[in-house]
Amino acid sequence: MTPHMDFPSSLPGDAGSLTPGVWGLQSLGVQVKQAQKPTGEKEARDILAQAFQGRQTVFPCGGGTSLSAGVLPQSIDLALDTTGMDKVLAFDPLNLNLEVSAGMTLDQINEFLAGQGKGFFLPLDPPWSNRATIGGTYAANSSGPMRLRYGTLRDLVLGVRGIDSRGREIGFGGKTVKNVSGYDFTKFLIGSAGSLCLVTSVVIRVYPLPDASSLCDLVFETREELEKFLAALRSSVLLPSAVVVTDLAGGPGVSDTAGIRFRVMIGFEGHGLAVERQNKDLLKLAGEFGGLGDARTGRDTMIQGIRSAVDPVRSWGDPLFLRISVPIVQGPRIFVALRRLLHDHGLLGKMALCAPNGVMFLYAEGVQEKEAEDLMRDLRDLIPAGSGYVTPILAQRSLLQGWGARVEPSLHQLAFQPIKERLDPTGVFPPIL
Amino acid sequence: MERDQILKKLQEIVGERNVLWKDVDLAVFEYDAGLDKEIPGFVVFTRTAEEVAQVVKFLHREGISYVARGSGTNLSGGTIPLNRGVVIELSRMNRILEIDLPNERAVIEPGVYNLTLQNALAPLGYYYAPDPASQKVSTLGGNFGENAGGPHCLKYGVTSNHILGAEVVWPNGEKVWIGGKAVDPPGPDLLGLLVGSEGTLGIATKILVRILRSPERVLTMLAIFKNLEDAGQTVSDIISEGIIPATLEIMDHMMIRAVEESMHAGYPLDAEAVLIIELDGLSDGMEEQAQRILEICQKNGVVSTRRAKDAAERADLWAGRRGAFGAVARLAPSYLVCDGTVPRTKLPAALSAVKKVGQKYNLAVGNVFHAGDGNLHPLILFDDRNKEEMERVHRAGMEILKICAELGGTISGEHGIGTEKLKGMPLVFRDSDLEMMQNLKTAIDPKGVCNPGKVIPRA
Repeated sequence: MTPHMDFPSSLPGDAGSLTPGVWGLQSLGVQVKQAQKPTGEKEARDILAQAFQGRQTVFPCGGGTSLSAGVLPQSIDLALDTTGMDKVLAFDPLNLNLEVSAGMTLDQINEFLAGQGKGFFLPLDPPWSNRATIGGTYAANSSGPMRLRYGTLRDLVLGVRGIDSRGREIGFGGKTVKNVSGYDFTKFLIGSAGSLCLVTSVVIRVYPLPDASSLCDLVFETREELEKFLAALRSSVLLPSAVVVTDLAGGPGVSDTAGIRFRVMIGFEGHGLAVERQNKDLLKLAGEFGGLGDARTGRDTMIQGIRSAVDPVRSWGDPLFLRISVPIVQGPRIFVALRRLLHDHGLLGKMALCAPNGVMFLYAEGVQEKEAEDLMRDLRDLIPAGSGYVTPILAQRSLLQGWGARVEPSLHQLAFQPIKERLDPTGVFPPIL
Repeated sequence: MERDQILKKLQEIVGERNVLWKDVDLAVFEYDAGLDKEIPGFVVFTRTAEEVAQVVKFLHREGISYVARGSGTNLSGGTIPLNRGVVIELSRMNRILEIDLPNERAVIEPGVYNLTLQNALAPLGYYYAPDPASQKVSTLGGNFGENAGGPHCLKYGVTSNHILGAEVVWPNGEKVWIGGKAVDPPGPDLLGLLVGSEGTLGIATKILVRILRSPERVLTMLAIFKNLEDAGQTVSDIISEGIIPATLEIMDHMMIRAVEESMHAGYPLDAEAVLIIELDGLSDGMEEQAQRILEICQKNGVVSTRRAKDAAERADLWAGRRGAFGAVARLAPSYLVCDGTVPRTKLPAALSAVKKVGQKYNLAVGNVFHAGDGNLHPLILFDDRNKEEMERVHRAGMEILKICAELGGTISGEHGIGTEKLKGMPLVFRDSDLEMMQNLKTAIDPKGVCNPGKVIPRA
């Protein structure tokens, strides 16, 4: 029996009885008329076929951790909650791939993998991986610090299955690492935020748990020292799996102009000898640029350290969660400028910089519309079009309305809009960016 | 529009000397490295993105089909101009525009050879990971169009994993930039779609790639086996052990013989199969990994193993592998190279089935392939003057694709569909999948002028 949740659009309903995705949609200002939570592909197919015939609008959602990655409509007829589709469909340890339903969370996947044979893992670590579903992560093109070594969805997803706007089954890619048969929808659908189809399952690459892991935890007093260290690290032979920078409150003697110090967490994985040598070399390298810290071994230590750097402190209450990407060398400068912006706007927030990728997460909470608008205006000045991207992950619908074009208008006109019209002619799914 | 008017307009855009129109000149462009042939209407040599855009705009307006072409190393007929379309030749757009080491990026024009970029990066301590065997002559524009792979893609991924931006001339002639030095542009992964779309959705006129630091150490080993299946099993065992080498490449006896006769790479002539294994990365722990690999080889009945002693010996081993396709010219005038891919654990079954196909059709089949990726390259040898034999070759090729599909793989790992594998598409796609592809093509190229007749079979 499908859990079926009907509630009048004028009332938010009992949030406690709703799943995070549906609750999140409402809290961001989307009127949801109805919600359904299919438990399998066939059920989802029937729902979409009916929606197509009835000209209903459908918004696929998972854990609700990145609902603003696409377009948030004013109202939707049906929120299709994918978290009921949470099964492992096939695990092939010898070929290192896993097929899972879209509604499994990343933590559920990793828990499953850790218990298989000698242990495996999926190196996808976006914020909130305890709630982020694999389908939502794919739809929002989310990633975390471990992208440094393992890449992003583009590198990890081998195949995708889904349901098109007419309720028909579709599938692309497969279980092989190399595949150039036909147009690569497996990649094109990454970041499409549910605007082109419902993703029901994916095939992803997984890795054996490494022999050894470590976390080097360093502090740098100034941006200049941090930048020099990061440049030296990039040009060294060291092969970190993740490098994430957070800010620490300034103290006496702090010389950085923004009044902050920098905490840098660096994860290493691999053969025990390689990890040991890298810990030693890294601490030496950091010392040359004024960095102080230590190295600790253990997989949990590494994962928890890296994760604590990017996970927002809380997950509810007028959130403004942004992903900002800039060319690598600009990362520390923009990071400091962002911290200053938050301070100037009187906002409390948490930030993390995946330094070797130039990707930042900015999370603020209790953000009122006016503050958010001012912040966004300043962000556009700081990162002009063409020099990087500011991507909302969670933000009020009203704020996104005034955001302006997130995609280059010529690309929207030449590619995205015509594709949307062809693949979803009746507009079952939410609009495309 | 009349032919002479088309010629005049093309000459106006790129200059009189940069348009080929005589049959004798056009004949040079009627083929690529696949088997199909079609004479183009014209060949236009462009030097700038602006020229490409103007040519495309004109052809689009007149409803004349076109295809972009680099070195023509395409192995599936992807650069063959159907319906006497115009070939837009990009090989003169061959500048490396920028190497940005601090941001680990390079910007190049599409006519730059893959190896030219590698040679520019190597002295700086960097490299570009995708390394197709044709890298001496294949262009990065072609690599972009085909999503080219190569031996090192086992560890580092294929072309699409290393492309971060591109200037693209859209099928209507408009120029757009997609992506850039910063990662993660919002919206669907358009670049991920365009890479590997075989030039049917636009022409890349500038390409922005990720470059990587050269590893501290590279260790290359050669393992010799008494049969191909054992070599295939070894590959599967190495990966499932959790070791991901930079490369795992296999060559069978027929290919070993061809390579040795052609270039003396140092492969043993009495071997039934050789496996090239390369580890790269930090030196710490590498010896231990190499030892573990040797144990896996021994478990699978390896006859002998040896290591490349120095850079020169390593280069020889690789020269043999990269020159393998060319070397088969000593064995037969023509070959069809299949490109099916299977899950690694199915390699022994696939190799065995391919052997039977060769026997069934009475055809010589050599194998040289990216074993770590499960990417087979059976080379079916034949004489294209023998029409009956050629017919058998096509049937054998289709049967091999079918085997790959049935083993849970796909019909093309890195060479593309082009015209050659169109009939194989229903082996791996449903009608609704193909319809979605056709809808996408129509959305981007409503007039159907941009390299038509490729990738998607006619409904």
